[in-house]
Amino acid sequence: MSATELFTDERAVRGTSSPVMGMVLFVAGEALFFAALFGAYFSVRTSASVWPPKSIGVPELAVPSVLTVLLVTSSVVLQIGVAAVRSGRIDSFRNLLGLTILLGLCFLALQAYDYSQLTFGIRDGIYPSLFYVMTGLHMAHVAGGVVLLSLVMGQTTTGQISLQRHEPVEAATIYWHFVDIVWLGLFTAFYLSVR
Amino acid sequence: MSSTHRFVRLGVAALVLVSMAACTEQPATEQAQQTHRLFYIILALAIFVSVVVEGALLWAIVRYRRRPGDDEEPPQREGTTRMIIAFFLFGTVIVAALFPFGEVALGNIEQNPTPIVTIDVTGSQWQWSAVYSNEGVVVSGKTFVRPLVMEVPVDEPVRINLVSNDVMHEFFVPAFYFMRNALPGHPNVFTWTPTRIGTYRGQCAEFCGLGHYQMRFIVKVVNPTDYQAWVQKERKSILKINCPPAAGNNLELTAHNISWNTNCLAITAGQSASITVHNLDAGIDHNFAIWNSLDTTHQYFAIPKFSGVATHSANLPQEVSQLKPGKYYFQCNVHGPSMSGVFIVEPAGSGQGGG
Amino acid sequence: MAVVKAPTLARPEPFRSRILDWLTTTDHKKIGILYFFNSLGFFAIGGILALLLRTELARPGTQFLSPHAYNQVFTEHGTLMIFLFVFPMLAGFGNFLVPLQIGALDMAFPRINALSFWLLPVGGLTILSGFLVKGGAGASGWTGFAPLSVQGGSGMDLWDLGLLIVGTSSLLGAINFLVTIVRMRAPGMTMMRIPVFCWAVLATSLLAVLAIPVFTAALLMLLAERHLGTVFFDASHGGSPLIWQHAFWFFGHPEVYMLILIAWGIVSEVIPVFSGKPLYGYRGVVLSFLMVTALSFTVWAHHMFATGAVELPFFSITTELISLPTGVLFFMWLGTMWKGKLRFEPPMLFAIGFIAMFLIGGIDGVWMASPAMDFAIHDTYWVVAHIHYVLFGGTVFGIMAGMYYWFPKVTGRFLSRRLGIWQFWIQLIGFNLTFFPMHVLGLRGMPRRIADYLPNEGWTGLNTLATIGAYVIAVSIALFFINVFVSLRKPRDAPDDAWGAGNSLEWATTSPPPAHNFDVMPEVRSGRPVYDMRMHARAQGGGSTP
Ligand code: HEA
Ligand code: HEA
Ligand code: CUA
Ligand SMILES: [Cu+2]
Repeated sequence: MSATELFTDERAVRGTSSPVMGMVLFVAGEALFFAALFGAYFSVRTSASVWPPKSIGVPELAVPSVLTVLLVTSSVVLQIGVAAVRSGRIDSFRNLLGLTILLGLCFLALQAYDYSQLTFGIRDGIYPSLFYVMTGLHMAHVAGGVVLLSLVMGQTTTGQISLQRHEPVEAATIYWHFVDIVWLGLFTAFYLSVR
Repeated sequence: MSSTHRFVRLGVAALVLVSMAACTEQPATEQAQQTHRLFYIILALAIFVSVVVEGALLWAIVRYRRRPGDDEEPPQREGTTRMIIAFFLFGTVIVAALFPFGEVALGNIEQNPTPIVTIDVTGSQWQWSAVYSNEGVVVSGKTFVRPLVMEVPVDEPVRINLVSNDVMHEFFVPAFYFMRNALPGHPNVFTWTPTRIGTYRGQCAEFCGLGHYQMRFIVKVVNPTDYQAWVQKERKSILKINCPPAAGNNLELTAHNISWNTNCLAITAGQSASITVHNLDAGIDHNFAIWNSLDTTHQYFAIPKFSGVATHSANLPQEVSQLKPGKYYFQCNVHGPSMSGVFIVEPAGSGQGGG
Repeated sequence: MAVVKAPTLARPEPFRSRILDWLTTTDHKKIGILYFFNSLGFFAIGGILALLLRTELARPGTQFLSPHAYNQVFTEHGTLMIFLFVFPMLAGFGNFLVPLQIGALDMAFPRINALSFWLLPVGGLTILSGFLVKGGAGASGWTGFAPLSVQGGSGMDLWDLGLLIVGTSSLLGAINFLVTIVRMRAPGMTMMRIPVFCWAVLATSLLAVLAIPVFTAALLMLLAERHLGTVFFDASHGGSPLIWQHAFWFFGHPEVYMLILIAWGIVSEVIPVFSGKPLYGYRGVVLSFLMVTALSFTVWAHHMFATGAVELPFFSITTELISLPTGVLFFMWLGTMWKGKLRFEPPMLFAIGFIAMFLIGGIDGVWMASPAMDFAIHDTYWVVAHIHYVLFGGTVFGIMAGMYYWFPKVTGRFLSRRLGIWQFWIQLIGFNLTFFPMHVLGLRGMPRRIADYLPNEGWTGLNTLATIGAYVIAVSIALFFINVFVSLRKPRDAPDDAWGAGNSLEWATTSPPPAHNFDVMPEVRSGRPVYDMRMHARAQGGGSTP
């Protein structure tokens, strides 16, 4: 028996797959990345007398609410897609994945529009600094997520995803949910909790 | 253990203690005495742990070296849980002894008794300045030229309010066994109670850029009468400063190497006046501001801070040119008292002014 | 014991394709060797920078480096040593050894593995290229304290970018190690049977995954501050320099344990082999590693006592508590040596040197864990003494032990024993000559990071001594490089079980191992499979191992 054969079987039974575990660890790191930024936010906020600063004013809620709906919906859609792939319905998964990507793109476009409507720029003080850097880095993560999902889409259309082999789907889904949760944090910090 | 062994060990410990003691400075404040005592306690614990561990290591090296030709396998012992717990306990005992001593010393150092003297110390790239607002004294170093020299009375609590104008600095007097960061926007307060008359060197300990290594200062601990004399002298030296009003009431001022070219500006009251500030410090911000006095409670006028090399001109507002004749105060708000001087408003027609 | 020849790859390959092979390899052993080359290269550069520092400080007056140059040099010295020498060294040992020790064929993600390696030299050269730009390299210390780091020219940006790249490399590497150790173990290799070295890699990787992203966030904020006009660290606009401090040290303290765990892992492998005994208290060691990992996220503000802005008693007690698990390790090593039969081969000498020197460094740290004491010695040469007793006396001695120990496995050749013993003694003497006087300098109030001092401050003699010591260290390190160079020209002579007393699986395969790692996978029935094999063979009457 060659060494290769000796191992493969043993390993297959051992819990989660490598890509999923790798992604869980990566997301754990990402969580600390955003935790650091939120830490900065709250330390600044607790020492500020007025929040948001007077010159900024209370932000509009309309567009950000739509953004939230878009992202939460996309997570739900993707999760339904994962359920589909787990029961072998690859075609319906492909459609749901397409919808998720579309929702992600809408989020990016709408957020870009939202930026263009803001009355303050990144140089206008500590609130704008936190706002732009935190939402901007999150936006970059959404864009990264869209790329990741598109790669999965590529694998799906070329028939590399199946009931037996769908770790890439699981891993990408974890990432997408994480990005969604971070947005909920940002939405709370910058919009909900300041009214 | 035989008594000679114990004797040798004690002797070594005493020797180390004495030689370490020679390494430290004599503590010069009440707080420093607390730290100095803590120093000996930690030293004793450190020597104890070192002797135990290094001793065991040496013992193992000497005792358990393999003799040539000895191929027999030593007993394959693996540790027991009980031993692991015992080793945890060893450290726990040390920490249980160390931590309370540290806390007591800390508590004593951090007390802030009612001060006799209060000094606002400001760090900026790269010098210190000290404002004795109750006494009306400002002393300051000059970057790359001379250190700040400040005096304090012996045996009295001296409160320091410490802040920075730009990056982080650190106010450190080795003989006081104490340092504290000077942070921008986050004032720090602490107390020294000097106990020994003398001259002590201090230095910025937090890396703050090019001039960090030269950001020195000197603290002179003197007896109360000498202190009073020093206060009078410093105060007079500020009040003594005099200069003629600028021609046409057009003031000109140059900032170079983080100092002004003069410590005295004068205008004639009641006439329109202007100021031109040259900032020759590449990449460094300065501004110019006129204040009521050293205690900087009311600002009459300021030009916005701007980075060198550049020039900035402005007309002085009515509020300044209409000021009651007398002595006022100007500074660069970025660098504070270390870039400051007297702003004199001469009564109109006092002879010198003319025009 | 019989020597198994490496499978004949004798056909000489053309040079071009050999180079290409190294550039594109995803074999964990080759990547491990690349990591070694990278680390040793940056160690030499960082060491030469250190010699520049010491040369300048030998006497009062700025004879050799201008203050501006000095500031760049100490910044790059610290940065290279920490980020491009020590951590990659762990990745080197980890890459070469972890798959072998757990009986795997390769790392979990071989291509990501290659990527994390190649990011390293790119990041390192980005940082170093600061020396070529106008205004010079980053000069805010390895800690890059804002707002000072917001000043300064494009060298500061290169420092920031380079560290972002290096951080990404470390993060990817760490994830790879974790997945490999958890998922790729051979049959019978339970978690409580993997060698302690693998536990050290696992603990380090956990620290890296959870700490490095925080540093990444800080570096990105710094970049935004420098180029986009944000005011995170600007107190006059509602920001605070403490934001950088907290973010940096939340990362920075776990980082220093990342730098020592490698040495703990190596020494815990070396001492049993040269004592002829199993590791004393394997479970205690593993427990200590994990406790240190957990505690190290609770102590960061001991670097900030003097800011006057942190909860002193809390950070003081957590810092002192971290010495408990560390102390247990010392007793485990001593317990392993106790009643053993010690063989003083070079790896063992360096391991003993490690114990003796790291103890001093650790205790130096406990001094500063008392805030009242720290107020007197913070930011003085006492700290410089501490960091070199733990990082040189600890980590470098540990790495040297590992180098001598595994060199025969990696290359099939022993390093010269004679040169090794010379190196050890010269290094030990030079090291103490350089860094012991720094304790005294610290107590006499010499601040760190100063380009110059006055002749009347009483610091001159000890500084001269430290400079002499640094050159002595340089001799010892040069001996090491010579040793490597000379030994590589010798024919291969190392048997499988090079020291005749190995415990872990890497000693079951050839030296160097074949591309597929094991011709035959030994059975794993305990934490010491190779010891079991040896005993089995002895019971069979001196028969040879397969
Ligand atoms: C390898 C890296 C490494 C390691 C392992 C350590 C280990 C420790 N360090 Fe160190 N440290 C650094 C690298 C490291 N450090 C660096 C690089 C800096 C400077 C950063 C900068 O500003 O540039 C620093 C700075 C630093 C400071 C800040 C100092 C200052 O700036 O004022 C402090 C303060 O508490 C500290 C404490 C400790 C402690 C308590 C340990 C403990 O983990 C040590 C534990 C070990 C022992 C204590 C010995 C063995 C124990 C026993 C035998 C048990 C019994 C003993 C007792 C209970 C005392 N370190
Ligand atoms: C692993 C980490 C590590 C290592 C190994 C070292 C090694 C050394 N360090 Fe370093 N040091 C740090 C980490 C390290 N240091 C850190 C983190 C700081 C803080 C930085 C900061 O403040 O920001 C610091 C700061 C620091 C200072 C304080 C600077 C200051 O505050 O002003 C000094 C001063 O003496 C110093 C000296 C030395 C010396 C003499 C060595 C020697 O041991 C070096 C020995 C090595 C050599 C001499 C290499 C010689 C090589 C050859 C001879 C081979 C040549 C061959 C080829 C080219 C093939 N170091
Ligand atoms: Cu100011 Cu260093
Ligand atoms: Cu620390």
